[in-house]
Amino acid sequence: MTGIKLSGVSKRFGDVPVIDNLWLDIRAGEFVVFLGPSGCGKSTLLRLIAGLEAIDAGQIEVEGRRVDHLAPGARNIAMVFQQYALYPHMTVRENLAFGLRNAKVPADEIARRIEATARSLEITELLQRRPSQLSGGQRQRVAIARATVKQPALFLFDEPLSNLDAALRARTRIELAQLHQQLGTTMIFVTHDQVEAMTLADRIVVINERRIEQIGTPMEIYRRPATRFVASFVGTPRINLVAVHVTGLSGNALARLPDGATISTGVSYSSLPQANMTLGLRAESVRVADSGAGDINGTVRVVERLGDRTLVHVALSEGTLITAEDRGNSTVQTGQAVGLTVDGAAAHLFAADGTAYHGAQQ
Amino acid sequence: MTPAINRPPRLAIALVTMAAVLMLMPMLWVAILSFKDNTALMADTSSAFGPPWTLANFRSIVGEGQVFTWLTNSAIVAIAMTAGVLMLSSLAGYGFARLEFPGRKLLFVIVLFGLAVPEQAVIIGRHQMFSAVSLHNTYAALVLPGLSLPFGVFLMTQYFRAIPREIDEAALLDGASRLRIFWRILLPLTLPAQATLGIFTFFHAWNDYWWPLISATDRDMLTLTVGIAATQMNFAQTEGLGFLMAQAIFAGVPTLLVYLVFQKYIVRAVAGAAGQ
Amino acid sequence: MSGSWKSRASGGWSRWSGALFVAPYLAVFILMLVVPLFIGIRLSLTHGDLFGIKSFVGVDNFTRLFADPVFLQTVWNTVRFVLLTVPAMTVIGLALALVLNYQTRWAAILRAIFFASSVLSVTVVTLIWRLVLIPEGGLAAVLAKAINLQPVAFLSEQALAMPSVALTTIWWGIGLPMVLFLAALQQVPRDLYEAAALDNASKARMLRSITLPSIRRTLALVVIVEVILQFQLFGQPQLMTGGGPNNSTRPVVLFIYETGWKQWQLGYAAAASQILFAMIAIAAMVQYFLSSRKDAA
Repeated sequence: MTGIKLSGVSKRFGDVPVIDNLWLDIRAGEFVVFLGPSGCGKSTLLRLIAGLEAIDAGQIEVEGRRVDHLAPGARNIAMVFQQYALYPHMTVRENLAFGLRNAKVPADEIARRIEATARSLEITELLQRRPSQLSGGQRQRVAIARATVKQPALFLFDEPLSNLDAALRARTRIELAQLHQQLGTTMIFVTHDQVEAMTLADRIVVINERRIEQIGTPMEIYRRPATRFVASFVGTPRINLVAVHVTGLSGNALARLPDGATISTGVSYSSLPQANMTLGLRAESVRVADSGAGDINGTVRVVERLGDRTLVHVALSEGTLITAEDRGNSTVQTGQAVGLTVDGAAAHLFAADGTAYHGAQQ
Repeated sequence: MTPAINRPPRLAIALVTMAAVLMLMPMLWVAILSFKDNTALMADTSSAFGPPWTLANFRSIVGEGQVFTWLTNSAIVAIAMTAGVLMLSSLAGYGFARLEFPGRKLLFVIVLFGLAVPEQAVIIGRHQMFSAVSLHNTYAALVLPGLSLPFGVFLMTQYFRAIPREIDEAALLDGASRLRIFWRILLPLTLPAQATLGIFTFFHAWNDYWWPLISATDRDMLTLTVGIAATQMNFAQTEGLGFLMAQAIFAGVPTLLVYLVFQKYIVRAVAGAAGQ
Repeated sequence: MSGSWKSRASGGWSRWSGALFVAPYLAVFILMLVVPLFIGIRLSLTHGDLFGIKSFVGVDNFTRLFADPVFLQTVWNTVRFVLLTVPAMTVIGLALALVLNYQTRWAAILRAIFFASSVLSVTVVTLIWRLVLIPEGGLAAVLAKAINLQPVAFLSEQALAMPSVALTTIWWGIGLPMVLFLAALQQVPRDLYEAAALDNASKARMLRSITLPSIRRTLALVVIVEVILQFQLFGQPQLMTGGGPNNSTRPVVLFIYETGWKQWQLGYAAAASQILFAMIAIAAMVQYFLSSRKDAA
């Protein structure tokens, strides 16, 4: 009964269907992230829930109440915009009070809520200032405060971190996670940054070209991506993708790389639709060994030392580049011949249409 | 502003300064004349350059009465038209810029075409209309036609369009009605455009000549601009040169003062008007 | 931003609420612009006067106008006036803008002086200039006598009347082109001049190769605006020369005014105003096509 429910929601702009027959259940108190590249439709979905666009079919329920025919202000939803959208000619206090006044909340209650919110978001000394006198980070806090002070049933965030510099972004991420723990309100967060998605979400909805590719917890998304797109969109460094030819070996798929090396995977052979597939291996499943000692052999092209680990980009004999991981204090050099050991159980196979096939245990 | 690279030669500045003096001379001439006694001027206007000077002309204006009536009329018409244009243009600008309704694009194009219609094409029709309902010689007749200027709507529409839509959306989520969004959120953000449009309309109303000439024919209903013309017609016969000049000063100085005070906005208004 | 979430529940109210904002202005627009326009068109096809439409005569007014020597003279006068004023306004305005386009106190004062005349009404302006131009007692006459020259009757000499009106108009309106050019000059990116300076370009070269091409569109704009404005010449000749001497300074608008409100031949006047409308529209369009062809070239 509580939480957010989208049933058969569709939306088209002119003749172009943007959202098509979407069904989604979000539990009360959940932190859901809509993740996807620009133009995939995630912001549109958010705006449909907010009421800034009208749906063409289906219905939206917030805490059991049908809201898709209600004005945005009547849905008990608050939104934090990408550019914050603070009212430029009002002080911070007036910005916070505006929504409450419209909802006819009594003045002393308004004052009380503003004090409390300002304290918890540490903007009390900013209350008398105008948005133009605030820094980017301060404006963002005010934007969040404006949402919080309304005590809504649902928070919507439209890429709120993308205007912050890297250091501020990381810090704000943590604060948002703490905010969620504190308030326990359902939150929907839209972003194209998979790190934000992975770190903040209870569940991620991965969207690509107006299609939902997968809904799952961050670990599910990471370890068992449903499609090739999800596998390559989530995870740094990007997953290794190699075209392979698959044959059966004791019921499991044996993948043969372009240079002839073979990897035995944990994927059931009979479930595969075709013989030519794409092998997906995350860098952490590919470790560096001595030349000749691994499943694959190649030459080191680029070495990236990150401190806690080293990314080694190895070229196979016919040119395919595979990224492997090594210890932080790795001694590998460019030009060196190395071997790569592969954890076949962690391998994924992708069909031509993008569907993913995984081993039994991930 | 262009840097020293483009500093013009001193000769050019000197020439322009001389030109500026020439620009001022006619106004200064009139100013001097207004301080001279009428009879002295009748004899020889070059006596203007020497004493005695007098304030008699200005005193007679103050005593005259009619000029003040005209001044009041001008003020009422100008203020009413400015207020009216600001209100109508702001409301319409918001509607065209932000709200969806059937025929919006077409109506806006029609209003745009209105920009191309010169006064001469509509003034006869307007005169007929007001005659038909016997509304000439009223403030309504002087103010109403000016409210239809498409420039104001065009300016305000552009200005509203430039405000990020996110602000509207934030206000919608804050439970504000469209009217509230207009009044409390967007309108305050358009103050520069309001100033520009207001000044432009004020001067347009104050200096308007042809329409008040044919609509307000009662001597008591004349605006200052028309009144000056009316007395100018008979200046050889009546009150006298000095008095006439005093009237001109009386009419011109307020406008010049307003100009000096609001210079920035006026220049912006003019540039904006022609830009459309 | 679509508002139809409301319409699904309350059946269409929101679709028209936007129109409510636009309605008041539209009402005035229709009443004060559209209706009079059509009344004028209808009138131009009739023999109407103050007391009503006498008869519908089709294009008779127009044919009469094209045969009317007075009207034709006014058309020619108007064109002559535009040719006298627009080039001068454009060139002088540009020159002033070029010289005064820098940020010193003195330049600001000078700019203010040149624009000040534009805020005066036509009646004040004509009053001022009559006092300058009249042969008995005008400023020009006083100055002439001071250097032992004969005063000239500017406004009653046929050869000088129109130029005098033109001079008055230029004095009155020079502020507008100056301001427009100033705005355009400030839009020219500084880097262009800096690069040219490094390339050893002379000031004249910079003017020719950088400044003028960059303000081409404003140049076209100024010309169109001034043409449209000066075609509507009315107050100056009405108050300074009465249209004379010998019809030499009577513009089309003065013709309309006198025909309509002195002779009360409203149909005839309305027809003349339609012709003026057409003249202005054609002039503007020609100008527009000429300048956009140059842009594309």
